Amino acid sequence: MTLELLEGSEAIAASAIAAGCRFFAGYPMSPFTGLLENMSRQLPLAGGVCLNAESEIEGVNMTLGAAAAGARAATGSCGQGIALMQEAIAEAALNETPFVVFNMARNQQDYFQATRGGGWGDYRTITLAPKDVPEAVEHVQLAFHLADKHRAPVIFYGDPLLAQTRIGVSVRPLDFGPLPPKDWALDGTGGGTGGSRQVWTWAMGKATDPGPGPDRHWRAIAEKFAAIDAIESRSEQAHVEDAETLVVAFGSAAKFVEYVVEELRADGHRIGWFRPVTLWPFPGEALAAATADVRRVLVFELNAGQMLDDVRIHAADRSAVRFIGGVSIAESGLAYGELMDAPVIRDRIRTALSEGGRS
Amino acid sequence: MTVIDTSQPPSEPARRVADFRPSLLLGEHSLCPGCGEPVALRVLLEVLQELDIVQRTIGVVGHGCYGSFVRIMDVDVLQCLHGRAPACATGIKRVRPDCAVFTMQGDGDMANEGLQEVLHAAARGEKITCVLLNNGVFGDTGGQLTAATVLGQRTKTSLEGRDAETHGYPIPVADLVAGLRGAAYVARGAVSTAGGVAQTKRMLRRAFETQLAGAGFSLVEILTMCPTGWFVPAPEGPGYLGDSMEQAYPLGELTTWRH
Amino acid sequence: MERELVVTGVGGQGIQLLAKTLALAATREGRHAMLSADYGGEMRGGPSKASVVIGDRPLRALPVLASAWSAIVAHHRFSEPALARLRPGGPAILNLPLVDPASLPAMTVYGVDAAAVAKSVEAPQAIGFVLLGAYNAVTRLVDPASLVAAMQELLPPYRRQHAAANARALAAGAAALDVPGADLTEVSR
Repeated sequence: MTLELLEGSEAIAASAIAAGCRFFAGYPMSPFTGLLENMSRQLPLAGGVCLNAESEIEGVNMTLGAAAAGARAATGSCGQGIALMQEAIAEAALNETPFVVFNMARNQQDYFQATRGGGWGDYRTITLAPKDVPEAVEHVQLAFHLADKHRAPVIFYGDPLLAQTRIGVSVRPLDFGPLPPKDWALDGTGGGTGGSRQVWTWAMGKATDPGPGPDRHWRAIAEKFAAIDAIESRSEQAHVEDAETLVVAFGSAAKFVEYVVEELRADGHRIGWFRPVTLWPFPGEALAAATADVRRVLVFELNAGQMLDDVRIHAADRSAVRFIGGVSIAESGLAYGELMDAPVIRDRIRTALSEGGRS
Repeated sequence: MTVIDTSQPPSEPARRVADFRPSLLLGEHSLCPGCGEPVALRVLLEVLQELDIVQRTIGVVGHGCYGSFVRIMDVDVLQCLHGRAPACATGIKRVRPDCAVFTMQGDGDMANEGLQEVLHAAARGEKITCVLLNNGVFGDTGGQLTAATVLGQRTKTSLEGRDAETHGYPIPVADLVAGLRGAAYVARGAVSTAGGVAQTKRMLRRAFETQLAGAGFSLVEILTMCPTGWFVPAPEGPGYLGDSMEQAYPLGELTTWRH
Repeated sequence: MERELVVTGVGGQGIQLLAKTLALAATREGRHAMLSADYGGEMRGGPSKASVVIGDRPLRALPVLASAWSAIVAHHRFSEPALARLRPGGPAILNLPLVDPASLPAMTVYGVDAAAVAKSVEAPQAIGFVLLGAYNAVTRLVDPASLVAAMQELLPPYRRQHAAANARALAAGAAALDVPGADLTEVSR
């Protein structure tokens, strides 16, 4: 396996193209810009189209159109721009258009945005949060797979470290198994046959072939997301067997936590870590099991406490949950601040260890 | 010369114009009596059939009364968010360049919610056809002021009539689009008279021909009657349109492209 | 074994290019490499910092290094945070006279007047490559030929004319170390 030294944005773009992505539209915004630039360079070489959209709103709606026409398509931004896309992401969830949204976020403050959404209606967005570039390469292709599998938009939650770190990686097409045919996609051939297709949030159907309509359609959508919740959550954990303390973190922060936990174990501490790989569906059952016998559940995230809510919902004993993260932004406003650092995290964990936990 | 034999009763009973509906029309529309939008839909579908592109056409429909046409047009359709049809159509066209892609939007959809979408698509020279059904009011929500409402027009949010001091001036979408280099065909028609319907149909045909030739962006603004939203009796709609909207929005081709 | 290098200096010294060259050379040798860059908006004069990690297996190191084995210090300005992360005893290449060896009391320090060495081989713009050549002569992290190949691969077409001078700078940096007392000063404590 030959490794190529690729910047995260470059590797993510290459992986999207390896996954068959043939349409991309985005609006520059750091640290998403690198992905847009790489797509604009690489996608035409693969026979695809990359547009520097005039706005995030147009970018996401172009992507929705391309996806409705059956292409593997993606858009992206960072949290601020994703905020503008919420209406279309909700629409795509409700009219069942699969595409991938790359949130190359500036920090971890978009957890609520990703997992709760800001659009209208009963919908969820599958959200993958890789911890490093090699995993990001895999998650990109998994994101396209899950989108097509469930006919739903999927969010890839990246960050400045994933976007800008250069690392030796190998980007190849990955096979996640068979997918249903896109017989719903608009290709124009339905016209005049009496069986023309429609992609429609209200699912009213045709005069000659009525659809379920909003009531039945939206109930079916809600059931679909409940089913996804039951089968698609993913998580990783280590040292849960003997841990008195479990540290929960996602994305890059989880990689830092894993590093620090291993050091602390070498120092003799009975500590483990737990990482939600999917932020939605949140791996609640796995977390409940992992926290059954621990004294402390420490939540580390670079925000004011967002995943914290989900940990409190699912931890075996919510009184054991402590928040050790916080808001931490670089001077530039574009990247993580000083909190995303192993020595700082070690200090915070050690302080928490010196405090009591549940008995 | 055919001479009609009047010595006997006709062998077939007389038929209404509505009986000659194009086969792409799957059923009756549900809009108000006197509405101009079903007329526009009908000529649009006729053009698709005459150009023989029915089985490679994808429509993108915005939000307004015409949204219900999704149910009665036998064409592959994406029903999109308010104002975003040109962006969605862009994505479709870019991945299916062999398809004819059109949008159907009202003035509330195109001039209010999505003005930048249509302008950007036109400037990009996107090879799509945008159809603006302009009746100068929000018909679907019961007759409020849009960005295209003509001066003096009474609406539920301009009860004394639109005055420029309070509400500003109406936006002539076709004229804005015609000012952009990427627009290859721009025209404004009206379906308030028989001649206007025929002219509008020719405009739509040329717009699709422009798209199929890959010449660039095309837009047909169609003035349509909304007697309900205008608070006039249905039979007076066409005349009212001629006296009001047509005065503010002159009919004709603004940008033409020739082979 | 993972080896970490922090490179610190100011914009315009070739910090990013030297770090990228080392990471690419290791990658082309079939090894695992990671490069993290950290520089301000200014092209010249602002802080410029990079870290490189090289190993024979998938890397455990974080993109923000918890600690580092070695350093190249091209300028004293802005260097303090990077130097605070160094593990005692590892090698550090210093750019003399801009960097005071006393600022790295716990490291095995090698000083090289990179500007003078670069000038002596008619490669005045290649200070970074002199430092990299010296660093690799001390650490032997990669084959010197790999550095030359990586440098050439990274040059954009409009800078191809610098390839020969850069190669001379890499070699001169290494030679400065191999010939004690020439341009390289080993500072012991």
